[in-house]
Amino acid sequence: MLVDGIRAHRWWLVGAGIGLIALSLAPLFLMPFHVRVVQQILFSAGLAVAWTILGGFAGYWSFGNTAFIGLGAFAAGLLETNIAIDSPTLAFVLATLFGCAVCAAVAALLAYPILRLRGIYFAIAMLGVSQVLGELTNNIDAFKGSLGIILPKLAPAAMEPQVFYYYLFLVAAAGTLLVGFLVKVGRIGYGLLAIREDEDTARMLGVPTERYKIGMFVVSATLTGLLGIIYAHSLGYITSGSVYRTDFSLNMIVYSLLGGIGTLAGPILGSFLMVVLTQVVLGRLLDIHMFITGALLVAMVMLAPRGLLGFAENLVRRRGAGLRTVEP
Amino acid sequence: MNAAPAEPILRVVGVTKRFRGLVAVNDVTFDVPAGSICGLIGPNGAGKSSLFNLITGYYAPSAGEIRFDGRRIDGLDTYRIAQMGIARAFQIAKPFPELSVLDNVRIGALFGHAGARNVAAVTAAALELTGLASLADRPALGLTVGDLRRLELARAIAARPRLLAADEPCAGLNPTETEGVVDILRQIRAAGVTVLLVEHDMPAVMRVSDTIFVVDAGRKIAEGPPEQVARDPRVIAAYLGTPAEDAPAA
Repeated sequence: MLVDGIRAHRWWLVGAGIGLIALSLAPLFLMPFHVRVVQQILFSAGLAVAWTILGGFAGYWSFGNTAFIGLGAFAAGLLETNIAIDSPTLAFVLATLFGCAVCAAVAALLAYPILRLRGIYFAIAMLGVSQVLGELTNNIDAFKGSLGIILPKLAPAAMEPQVFYYYLFLVAAAGTLLVGFLVKVGRIGYGLLAIREDEDTARMLGVPTERYKIGMFVVSATLTGLLGIIYAHSLGYITSGSVYRTDFSLNMIVYSLLGGIGTLAGPILGSFLMVVLTQVVLGRLLDIHMFITGALLVAMVMLAPRGLLGFAENLVRRRGAGLRTVEP
Repeated sequence: MNAAPAEPILRVVGVTKRFRGLVAVNDVTFDVPAGSICGLIGPNGAGKSSLFNLITGYYAPSAGEIRFDGRRIDGLDTYRIAQMGIARAFQIAKPFPELSVLDNVRIGALFGHAGARNVAAVTAAALELTGLASLADRPALGLTVGDLRRLELARAIAARPRLLAADEPCAGLNPTETEGVVDILRQIRAAGVTVLLVEHDMPAVMRVSDTIFVVDAGRKIAEGPPEQVARDPRVIAAYLGTPAEDAPAA
């Protein structure tokens, strides 16, 4: 089944591969500011794809995925600053593995009570979880959330830090996309689709709904944590306020919604457009950029509720050009 | 009509289901022989749907046991029962609305009965049998009631069940559509699947069933071949009321 799914989407994989090569070469040609912009697109797209694995595919919208950005960042940071290893690279690798493991474990523990909640209740529960974790990190001295953690500098001397982090984000985002792709085109992807459409009927057809939901929640949390760890290092110094950010949680949803929910290309497209819009096009209009962004989102939701991909699909169908396909 | 006696594939033994004070199913016992079509009939509120919900794992019985192929299944999770080989077609069709007819059926084929599966072949066969092949690329959302009912059946048989529990597959259909569904049920049985049917359409259920179980007010009141059940005075009373109840003022 998975092999069939991969074969059916091979052109999609080829496209992703070409994109990956282009992005690998891009820092050679881009100015430092633009490297930062693409880096932020990679971070945002990675987060939105990680969110999509549960939110887009199974319809369980988390409004608090920033919980795992913060959790990963602080777990990794605390280990890294307390571990007695001379090699910063090795310390970083160990800390990253530890941070991801903490995210996976916390997600698995949370999953049992809160994935029984459906729809808006799950969304609110996750919002609560992220607030609680942020407050705990801030108020318990051992976590150093209010004082902050200074993370070691990782970039080799021969490399500009923004280029170094650009590649870390590229690897993490590409890995996240690959995981999302394998989930989407395999049997489990259809199971998640069935859960999104009608969970009771899915169970009646033999879909192990609990196992799938818990599994995807853990996967989504782990990937979000990985991106959070890299983000924290790219900042160099973190407090709870810089990683437990509700706007992160919301952006993942908005980018997915804008591009086309339930697809993989959608969150990437949405991240690209929104980051370019807010950082480049409106970068000099700081006073009104939030206003324009908000107005644009309202317009999008009203005019193209299925996102830009859904909008494009409708245009194509209206011209009678071919059948409806499920794009990955 | 008369199937040779075979080992029962489903045994319902002394099953009771209470909802607080209400006894929805009261000490019901029946056997469904492998390879048969059995009808489960009774007036509204008799407990037919509750029995279906017990068999497919939506509820756990308050007492009694349910055996499928010799193994106890009462209290197991719905998806486990589905993986053991019981599929259900709902009376009120529950398609995955945003998905195409093909994807609806494909999900049945991808999951359902555990074990080796050829998804493409099973999906195609189920669409063919139910006459939905020409609608395969349509979204389920816009189908007619008759097509939705056939989609329920297609998805259920794509799950490759050994027992199909069909909840009023003919309700609300016109005579031509009903005839089509009856024909599909016969073909499903011919393919080796046992069918347990809840049905209100009496002519349909009489024509297609080998054995009929009648429930009323949570209890089984009759069991047997259709002709015998149709003449049973208790069945007639349950459906039409007794004369004394009919004319209380006289």
